[in-house]
Amino acid sequence: MSKSSARYVMRLLVAGASLAVVAQAQAAPPPTELSGASLFAQNCSACHQLTGKGVPGAFPALAGDAFPQGPPEPVVRLLLNGRGGMPSFRADLDDRQIATVLTYVRSAWGNHAPRIEPAMVARVRGSAAQDHAAQALQAH
Amino acid sequence: MNEAIAQPLSRRSFLEGLGGVGGTGLVLAGMSALGFGIEARAAAPPVLSGRAGKRIVVLGSGVAGLTSAYELRKAGYDVVLLEARNRVGGRSYTARRGTQLTELGGEPQTCSFDEGLYINPGPWRIPYHHYGYLHYCRTLGVPVELFNNDNDHSYIYYEKGSGPLARRPVRKQEVAADTRGYAAEMLAKQVNQGALDQAFSPGDKELFLDYLKSEGYLTDKDFRYIGTPGRGYDTDPGAGLQPGVPSTPYAMSDLLHSHTWDTLKSVSDFDQQRTMFQPLGGMDRLPAAFGRDLGPIVHLQHVVEKISQTDQGVTVGYVDAQGQRGSVSGDYCVCTLPLSVLRGVDLQVSPGFKDAIGGVSYALVGKIGLQMKRRFWEEDHAIYGGHIYFDDADVGSINLPSTGWLGKKGVVLGYYQFFANAAKISALSLAERQAFAAAAGQKVFPQYAENVETSFSIAWHRVPYNLGGWAQWSDDGRRDAYPKLLEPDGRIYLAGEHLSYIGGWQEGGIESAWSQIAKLHKRVNA
Repeated sequence: MSKSSARYVMRLLVAGASLAVVAQAQAAPPPTELSGASLFAQNCSACHQLTGKGVPGAFPALAGDAFPQGPPEPVVRLLLNGRGGMPSFRADLDDRQIATVLTYVRSAWGNHAPRIEPAMVARVRGSAAQDHAAQALQAH
Repeated sequence: MNEAIAQPLSRRSFLEGLGGVGGTGLVLAGMSALGFGIEARAAAPPVLSGRAGKRIVVLGSGVAGLTSAYELRKAGYDVVLLEARNRVGGRSYTARRGTQLTELGGEPQTCSFDEGLYINPGPWRIPYHHYGYLHYCRTLGVPVELFNNDNDHSYIYYEKGSGPLARRPVRKQEVAADTRGYAAEMLAKQVNQGALDQAFSPGDKELFLDYLKSEGYLTDKDFRYIGTPGRGYDTDPGAGLQPGVPSTPYAMSDLLHSHTWDTLKSVSDFDQQRTMFQPLGGMDRLPAAFGRDLGPIVHLQHVVEKISQTDQGVTVGYVDAQGQRGSVSGDYCVCTLPLSVLRGVDLQVSPGFKDAIGGVSYALVGKIGLQMKRRFWEEDHAIYGGHIYFDDADVGSINLPSTGWLGKKGVVLGYYQFFANAAKISALSLAERQAFAAAAGQKVFPQYAENVETSFSIAWHRVPYNLGGWAQWSDDGRRDAYPKLLEPDGRIYLAGEHLSYIGGWQEGGIESAWSQIAKLHKRVNA
């Protein structure tokens, strides 16, 4: 997709995405509760690795790193909006899942930072501007 | 800024509208007409006449680097090109028997397709308006074949909706005929009842009704949609006494609740339009042709570590295949490394330029090629190329090959996902990815899983020297960072799809190269 038309397409997609969310809510069975470790393995480990050590020069380490253990709001915002090579998880993980996976990251591999609550994620989700295109039917 | 056209249509919404219906070229033409001073799009390489007695170091041998090296050398420059891998092409890549790939954090993978079979895991289709790409196919003698980018007879498999058309394959032609037929019928009813009389000038109404009848295959007398041969027959017409048994349209409510209609558009998006091409034999054919032409000026397995400059010239430090460090110097550098990779290079540029390089996202993208024992989609389903659309974003679409028609085996693109979905699928092992793809296709084709023989998968964000599928500019990034990177920092010029409005397409890389080397040449001749 040429990014010149991305804004136009994005408007269509945002409209489409909200319809899809409604449809999903009607049709899908209630999601199984996944542990923080499982959510991390599923959504994060491809880049940050199961060890949390990342890949030097490509994917940042989370183990022992100050950012994920720092103030919660920027961390939550990063998961919601993405940055650099990291995608937005806004449409893919709900508030509880984001809280669960971040709480895991903040306590795994010797990390030590207070847990993050779903209510906190909900608040940031509501206030943060969405800066990410939803998915196109066909891209390139 | 000219505010004269701000009422009632703002300039921005006007341009967005152009983007929606006409794409980049129309936006640029429109912007030019509105006084933004934006160049018209180039359809041929720049003519680099005049002085050229300088040495240029080109970094990266994707199409942007190859184009830069080719045109600069042709103009008389002394060109040296460094490429990190043991092949040219970058993302313009084909996996075939013996192709090896190890993703960062991944298992080693060797493609074991049968001889002659391949998948293009990166760029894979060339629309008719990619003039630069087609120019080089002509120039370098790379034959192309048609790429089927839409197929009336393919399936849509949507599972998030409800009703009898959800969670089962539905032929696209049925969805298109019925949805548009019903829509035309409803609109015709409104028009005939006089509900839209105010919208018409004299004579318009009858013509509009004619259009609706044609668009929706409505009945002559009473403008009803009762099906049409194009949606397919229950029994096809044949010889002798077989006129065919017409098929019955789906209920409109079932179509609506299935959401399958979201695959329908009045016209394909600009980037997705037919005619589309692919190089005969694989996407790596064009880079290979460039590489043959450039010969010894291409230095493979030279990984760039450091780019430094003075007001006299540029020096690029590299590590070669033997692990030996070395450097090459030149008067200027054309750097086509993806910005995702350039971030990790010791780069001597201004802080503002460096920040701008960090200001862009790269798309996470996953694809898998599945070698199938037989072409059941052709033999049993009469589907020749095109896409099976999914609303499960982990799958995206299945794409049937536009090559090897009517042959024995074939390689199917088993998924094409982006962003968070690509993060998720790329966390799977190679065997798990193949199993995931086989299960997805099984929902559409009963023959699918049993025919999967072997696979080759890729997660572009985990591929060394790429670290992402393509640059994703946000509106802010496009406004603040992008213009900085279009200008050289000292003697360093950047080029690539990331510096175009044709992002993620090879054409963007080619036209960006044209644009940047023209600037460089102008400076040399100033």
